[in-house]
Amino acid sequence: MMSDVAQNQFNIKEYIRQDLFPHFMCPGCGHGIALRALLNAVHDLDIDKNKLAVVSGIGCSGRVGAYIDANTFHTTHGRPLAFATGLKLARPDLEVIVITGDGDCLAIGGNHMIHACRRNLNLTCLMLNNEVYGMTGGQVSPTTSMDRFTTTTQYGNYEPVFDACKLAEGAGAGFIGREMTLQTPALRDLIKEAISHQGFSFVEVLSDCTEVFGRKNDLGESAEMVLAQKAGYRSDSYGTVVDEPFKPRGMQTGVLLRTERPEYAATYQQHNAEKLKQ
Amino acid sequence: MNNRESLKADIPATSVAAERPTNVLIVGVGGQGVIMVSKVLASLSQELGYQVKQSEVHGMAKRGGAVFSHVRFGSSVFSPTILEGDADILVALEWAEGLRWLPYLNQESGTFITDTQHIIPPFACRDRGRGAVSGYTRETVPEVMDSVTNSFALDAAEIATELGVPKASNTVLLGALSTALEFPVAAWKSVISKFVPSKTIEANTRAFDAGREWALSFDRETQLKDWTDRTKQDPEKTTDSSADVVSTLEITEAWCKGCDICVKFCPERCLAMDARQIAILTHPDRCTGCRICEWLCPDLAITVHTSKNNIST
Repeated sequence: MMSDVAQNQFNIKEYIRQDLFPHFMCPGCGHGIALRALLNAVHDLDIDKNKLAVVSGIGCSGRVGAYIDANTFHTTHGRPLAFATGLKLARPDLEVIVITGDGDCLAIGGNHMIHACRRNLNLTCLMLNNEVYGMTGGQVSPTTSMDRFTTTTQYGNYEPVFDACKLAEGAGAGFIGREMTLQTPALRDLIKEAISHQGFSFVEVLSDCTEVFGRKNDLGESAEMVLAQKAGYRSDSYGTVVDEPFKPRGMQTGVLLRTERPEYAATYQQHNAEKLKQ
Repeated sequence: MNNRESLKADIPATSVAAERPTNVLIVGVGGQGVIMVSKVLASLSQELGYQVKQSEVHGMAKRGGAVFSHVRFGSSVFSPTILEGDADILVALEWAEGLRWLPYLNQESGTFITDTQHIIPPFACRDRGRGAVSGYTRETVPEVMDSVTNSFALDAAEIATELGVPKASNTVLLGALSTALEFPVAAWKSVISKFVPSKTIEANTRAFDAGREWALSFDRETQLKDWTDRTKQDPEKTTDSSADVVSTLEITEAWCKGCDICVKFCPERCLAMDARQIAILTHPDRCTGCRICEWLCPDLAITVHTSKNNIST
């Protein structure tokens, strides 16, 4: 007789819309890995699927949300945070998670992003950063690294890169974290912390676009690209102290900022109640 | 010094004034700070006017390999290395390394100071299946304390971690070592502060004091009993029923897009791509259930089920 070791083992099939599978993403796309980490975090936190609302925008990242067997909203380009703000204010009992991409969040939805950070509403924003607009054919995005080739930067990108976490910090987000898809368990734990945080939580997930970005830049096959997240870790290896934390693409990972600021929904409701009394 | 402090053992502290040089052998694993300990000792004895010779094997830090350092000091020292069975004090920063070098200790009067921290090298884990036993040494602390008269086993890593400086376990051992040699405490501390990063001087001084305090309050019977109790609890831990745990890999073929990530990442090489470019499990017996393939499958096509075989229990 066989029985499960853990009473409550995570089985991803309970959390996805199996009839939509296989999903539309390309072979090796990092978004699928991020999706698993998110669902595992939801499972670990024991969030009821009926109380979970996933809002996503347009782009490859926007399609990720649609595969989750919960309340999902596929909204307009760049506006998932605006939709989520309304949703959370109307239904504070829901756990609202926003899945957005680098272009969706930082270019088209840049204004919504900074204002969501400013308000500090209890949302969790997962920004899947694959450095490119994958769905529309591989145009340059605000996070495309320098000298990378895309369909709109045929001679290499020369625009400086956006550091989304610093932007969120400047705009006032309560919780900021960054992790790569290669370190999936760490990513899961980071998402768990982000969801548990009371206030706006911004998580940047370093993902890979294998078919469009990887091919154009000759970054190797899927496995090589995923591993390269770690290889990029120590580009200046031997130059710095060995104990210095590993940094993908020269960036820090893990929880970058955690501040306690008043949460917007509570302040909003209190303010409204006071005004209505008068 | 009339009021000299010594380890509470039958044998008095090693006398450095003797004609024969004092031999201290320091062993451990790369990265633990073996060289730092030996440098502190060598520099200290040099400052106090002894002739010192030191010989070491180093460069293993990146590999987690074995590191040892011979320190000999006295009124006149000729050879830099210690003969087998001639070490007066053996300081081990790691349990198995300490046991490996035990033959070098003077069997009659030698003092053995060891950390009980286990650093299990990768080659001791050749069998990575569930419930597999590693090739690491099985000697327990009471067994070693019984066979070596002057043995002091302390969990320096734990002491250092409690102080909030887990890296300073070598300084904790220095503190314990300081009680076996009749050097002034202030001199020890001033030399240590020269060899540690300036930011950590305060933390290392605390670690030194903690190690010294531990050695001064050492009571063989209590320690022996304490470790026997700990070892008794261990069997429950080691007879982990993980051997009965069975991992099964479920691959949803219709979802697999053949990105090859699982095949290339599997540490046991038990997955392969078939002619249709779909991942298949070729060696189910090798699978350890590490879940790397499950975690990194972008198509969510792999699920690892771990289940317990109830028949054997």
